Amino acid sequence: MPQAAPDTEKLDEHLLEVVRALHGAVKQGVSHTNDPKLMDKAIEDCKEILDVIMAGEVKEWLN
Amino acid sequence: MFTDKIELKDIDKMDPEYRDLLGRVLTIQADCEIGGPHLYVEKMLPAAPTKLDQLIVARTAAEEIDHFRKVARVAGDMGVDVSFVLSQPNEKRFVDTFRGLITTWEDNSVFGFLIDRVGRYQLEEFYDCSYLPLQRILPDIVTEELGHIEYGYNKTAELLTKGDEQKARVQKAVDHWYVRALDMFGRSGSKRAERYRYWGLKRRTNEQARDDYIKEVDPILLSMGLKVPDPLKGRRYT
Repeated sequence: MPQAAPDTEKLDEHLLEVVRALHGAVKQGVSHTNDPKLMDKAIEDCKEILDVIMAGEVKEWLN
Repeated sequence: MFTDKIELKDIDKMDPEYRDLLGRVLTIQADCEIGGPHLYVEKMLPAAPTKLDQLIVARTAAEEIDHFRKVARVAGDMGVDVSFVLSQPNEKRFVDTFRGLITTWEDNSVFGFLIDRVGRYQLEEFYDCSYLPLQRILPDIVTEELGHIEYGYNKTAELLTKGDEQKARVQKAVDHWYVRALDMFGRSGSKRAERYRYWGLKRRTNEQARDDYIKEVDPILLSMGLKVPDPLKGRRYT
């Protein structure tokens, strides 16, 4: 088998958790369309998660 | 033409050109997947017209991050580290389309409708490709891309119902993204594209894929009451 790139599995696991957290927050908001406060909270949660990914500090995520 | 099917365990035995081309195409694909959210999350997550649209922007970003993850895993397993694209500034993206920032809802809608459709075309190039780990991740990714295209189309169509001024703004966005979409297919007559085909990594030439895209998109634009932009004006790759 070829030698995998460093942290391949770790990055995969981390991003999978991020994606699940984002989907969870979206689902929370989408299932409460009659409750603006809950929707705002879900949007805020999404923003918080996405800000970290957009910052792209990969080493920090994996340590 | 190379017709074998390759598994991860066979990759070290493959011709260096095959490994180079596969590594290159995976790196570019990973860059495009994460390049999307980097274009629209900052301005569109807070500015989408409704809370539901804001959540759909977040869901779209989540799906693109997941596509990146899947492509990065295929690349990483064969020893190609694509993680650097996660922290790459937009102006360094491999594909011009992903350099910059989306700041209007019209651009965001048309981007989904026109550019995610190019994404679908690029992924379809790998259908039945010679590298099986890549082939295996495609169905779920393409299904989600179809959702992004449909959402972009619906939002564009919705904007077109809001009067002439709004329609002019949509046309401006179409004029901007259409030529970029055509450029995303690369140069006609590209020698590298021929090597991708030789190794069974892609199905069509750049010009074939672009022509197919034009044949699909132009009638949709016309049916929406929009003008098809000059396909050569402002193009970088013809």
